[in-house]
Amino acid sequence: MSDREDRLKSLLDKVRAKRPGERAPHAADVLERIRTASGAIPAVQKTAAATPPPAAAESPASSDFSSQLPASSLPEPDTSPAIESPTRYSSQPPQVERPLSVEPRARSSSPASGAPMGPISSAPPRPSSGAPRAPSSSPVRRPDSIRAQSFAPTGQPIVYATDEPEFPRPKTFGDLLELTLSLRPR
Amino acid sequence: MHDGRFDPGGFYEFNLGAGTIRTRTRERVIMLSEAVLSSLVAAAARDGDLTPLRRLGELLGDHVLSGLDRPASVLSPDAVLGHVSAVTALFGWGRLTFERWGPALVIALRDKPELDEDDLGAAALLGGMFSEISQRQVSCVPAGESKFVMVDFEVAETVWGWFKDGADLPAIVGMLQPKRAS
Repeated sequence: MSDREDRLKSLLDKVRAKRPGERAPHAADVLERIRTASGAIPAVQKTAAATPPPAAAESPASSDFSSQLPASSLPEPDTSPAIESPTRYSSQPPQVERPLSVEPRARSSSPASGAPMGPISSAPPRPSSGAPRAPSSSPVRRPDSIRAQSFAPTGQPIVYATDEPEFPRPKTFGDLLELTLSLRPR
Repeated sequence: MHDGRFDPGGFYEFNLGAGTIRTRTRERVIMLSEAVLSSLVAAAARDGDLTPLRRLGELLGDHVLSGLDRPASVLSPDAVLGHVSAVTALFGWGRLTFERWGPALVIALRDKPELDEDDLGAAALLGGMFSEISQRQVSCVPAGESKFVMVDFEVAETVWGWFKDGADLPAIVGMLQPKRAS
């Protein structure tokens, strides 16, 4: 292959890199004419080279260019449900949050310290210290002493204190009533 | 054992043809706006006669008792509270819970309608309701922050005076002690 042919082939590659679909057949014709003029190409190859494309689009060189890919085969914007699913998921609170919504309220209603008598529930607290704790398989665990929504359709939980009660728990509403109605000024 | 559950289904019966609302005990009720009711209660509080509100509380207590299969005195506090809070909510009087402050039973009534400055309307309502439930004369004295101390009718004025003098709930409870049986 002569230097001229090498330069032309290099030029042809550059042209293909820019617009391979249009430039490749035209440049191939030019190259063929040069080769025919020099008489260095066998007849079989001349026939093959002179054959007009469709082969141009199917040539290995042109298929290497990603710019030749049709627009329809380009990766489309990701509209799969995976994008929308977090929105749907966030609208559904995970079940693990339900115990959390009860526990802070129960603790916040109980004074930490200071007041000699804090608000105590209508049920006695179960001391957390010393009580055997079952190994928790979940990071969030409803305390045993809270039985939220066990009675009221409004959903408010019973407030349970965590301190040891000073007074014993009345077992019945009548006992509770007797105790509070027996109060007199000191 | 009573499980304390309250079924609110079918509590009200709306009869649009007759223009009536009845509870499931066939008692006719009407709906009032909070603004209208507050003006009525404020006027009653100024006159010192909150009997109508106490009577309304007794009617609520009747509803509570009608939902219990046994006398309230033998039921657990949770079971009674369940019905009391449900009836209170169904009549739009807010969220009712029990709190025990030492020996004292305190009623917390949150999100209640704002009727009068001193919460005397709500106190009369609660007093009537728990008197009906317990079949005893009880008073619920306002103690601030939508809480009411349940005391005997005889000491209500004294406790109310403490609160008006600035005592908060812990102080009020600290000034009370159970009467020792002699």
